[in-house]
Amino acid sequence: MIWNYFLIAAGVSSASWILSALIPKKDIIRNLLVLTGILSMAVYIAFLWSSLERPPLRTLGETRLWYSLFISIIGLITYFRWRYLWMLYYCLFMSLLFLFINYLHPENFSKTLMPALQSPWFVPHVVVYIISYAFLAASTLVAIYGLYQVRREKFEAKYMQIADNLVYLGFAFLTFGLLFGALWAKEAWGHYWTWDPKETWAFITWMGYLVYIHRRYQKPGKYVSALWLLALAFVILLVCWFGVNYLPSAQFSVHTYSMQP
Amino acid sequence: MSKTTKPLWQNPWGYAESFLIAFGLLLIGFLLEFTIQSNSGTSIRYPMNLILGGVFLTLLLVFYRLIKKSKLYLFLSGIPASIGAISVLTLLVIIMGVTPQVPMQDKNLITKLSLNQLTTSWSFLFINFYLLVILAFVIIRKSFPFKWKNWGFVCSHLGLWITIFAAGLGSGDLMRLKMDLHENKTEWKAYDDNGNYYELPLAIKLNDFIIDEFNPKLAVVENETGKLYEPTKPSMIMVEKDLTAQLHDWSVTVDEFLPLSGRAGEKYHPLHDFGAAPAAKVSVSTNSAEILTGWISCGSFNRPHESLKLNDNYSLLMTVPEPKKFSSEVTIYTPDGKKEDQILEVNKPQSVNGWKIYQLSYDEKMGKYSSLSIVEVVKDPWQIYVYIGIFMMMIGAIYMFWRGNKVRINSEQ
Ligand code: HEM
Repeated sequence: MIWNYFLIAAGVSSASWILSALIPKKDIIRNLLVLTGILSMAVYIAFLWSSLERPPLRTLGETRLWYSLFISIIGLITYFRWRYLWMLYYCLFMSLLFLFINYLHPENFSKTLMPALQSPWFVPHVVVYIISYAFLAASTLVAIYGLYQVRREKFEAKYMQIADNLVYLGFAFLTFGLLFGALWAKEAWGHYWTWDPKETWAFITWMGYLVYIHRRYQKPGKYVSALWLLALAFVILLVCWFGVNYLPSAQFSVHTYSMQP
Repeated sequence: MSKTTKPLWQNPWGYAESFLIAFGLLLIGFLLEFTIQSNSGTSIRYPMNLILGGVFLTLLLVFYRLIKKSKLYLFLSGIPASIGAISVLTLLVIIMGVTPQVPMQDKNLITKLSLNQLTTSWSFLFINFYLLVILAFVIIRKSFPFKWKNWGFVCSHLGLWITIFAAGLGSGDLMRLKMDLHENKTEWKAYDDNGNYYELPLAIKLNDFIIDEFNPKLAVVENETGKLYEPTKPSMIMVEKDLTAQLHDWSVTVDEFLPLSGRAGEKYHPLHDFGAAPAAKVSVSTNSAEILTGWISCGSFNRPHESLKLNDNYSLLMTVPEPKKFSSEVTIYTPDGKKEDQILEVNKPQSVNGWKIYQLSYDEKMGKYSSLSIVEVVKDPWQIYVYIGIFMMMIGAIYMFWRGNKVRINSEQ
């Protein structure tokens, strides 16, 4: 039953989101379609919640449902505010990806997460990071393109404005990711911040973008150094994301979960 | 673009001076560390921290009064000084992110400079202190006279300031202690990492410790070394009833799976004894079409484990199950004579009398038969202030999301 309803809900969401990408002419229709997909996810989660008689946050499959829901909601809000169509599609794509993974692995619905991950903070923590990284990656692409244009002496100030805005949005989500992580750690382990290697690198990443933002604020006219800063900040972000486990400091990290079966 | 170079230390100060000051602080910190090592054991507790905090705030205001008309104030509340402080702190944290942060016994340059315990080093303290001063001046300059359009700025910056200030001062008052609860015993003493015992204003009786486990997994190990053999992934497969799976070169079928069992004679039987362990009857075939059948078990604290020899080099074995969920049913007593039944679970702490109680661990050797539950008790009187700061930063972040860099786009046009 839970599975069949999942198929229906995921089917409705996928269909309406894919349609929303195919008929892009009318804004209102697109928004309605996106909203339909979100509602179908929300209704399914509500159904799951009431039939399980507990918040559906205990298994891998359940957390992925929440990712799908929240990523699509944030995508829509971001679209309302900023009209970044690519971000809307990125968010919908990520949502569909999580639904698809659930579809491929029905057994995920019964696989519970390790106790430390069974927390209401887990989903928001991951979701805001997924979105933040997308914005920041986009800003890096703009930076690289900008540097290329600088070399060709065809730089235009509007690239910088795009980069700035992407960083502002990405940084806002990054801040949330960091703070959610801290609040979660307090709830789960009794302390916000223990300078665990992953935390340390997340902090370094945050500081890197902080430098960029303030530098831009002070000297809006200086492009080249700012573009390099932006590219460098992303390298740090990548270290934080993938590289941490390979550093000598990582032997003692709580974030290197031995993946669940 | 014309570049005019201004002699150092001549007004107005800029990036060069900013970085020199920040690096200077770093250097002084390291020199101090080298001569008198900061003692990571000491921390400033109530009421000392409150007094020091008050003194710091007073000095800050006096300092502000003295310099508010000077160029120094403009410098200290400006972006170059901010970026210098942020960058040098970042540098320090990068060192922290690369070198393991654990206590070490040997005497070498790393331990002499406390590079292995940077968060309690002088340099870290100095830089944070400097950042706090600068951030305070930044906030003061943007807040007086107060303009409504700056509310987002004030939220994010003041929020960060409050967070650092409260978390820093509060760290001495933070008590994180552990308590060993044994089933059907009442415990009121807790101990810290150094083995000092404390009496708590509450007592906890463990009524039952419950643990829910995953099924054990199948894995292949090298006979000689006992090391996990993993030429292909996945190298471990969870045991399930009627499972057939490919593990490296072997095809494994689970013919029978007993979550709780004991060996009697030739085979394992279901058993609900203290110490009963999971066991499975498996058939293994290789490409040579030869089929090997036998029982394997991961054993328990009082039962031996049993593996199946695949050939001279490798054996198939069952891993010890991992916990899915563990919780303690407890009764908590407080000095006022109240008693309360609670369930402690990971991620679900309970608050009693100003203390928060967290489920931490148990006797892992005993696994599901553990009658010991280890909980952590935490008292953090400054938590509320840290939360206020975090909450303000969140509002600041929402503001940032909503405004984007629009302000600047308009002003640049
Ligand atoms: C680490 C400590 C920080 C310092 C020392 C610092 C310092 C400054 C300074 C000096 C300004 C320029 C104000 C002016 O002259 O108008 C500024 C502006 C700004 N800062 Fe920070 N800042 C810090 C942290 C942050 C954080 C954590 C955020 C975001 C969450 C942030 C976001 C901004 C923004 C968005 C502006 C532009 C203000 C506006 O648009 O009105 N800063 N900061």
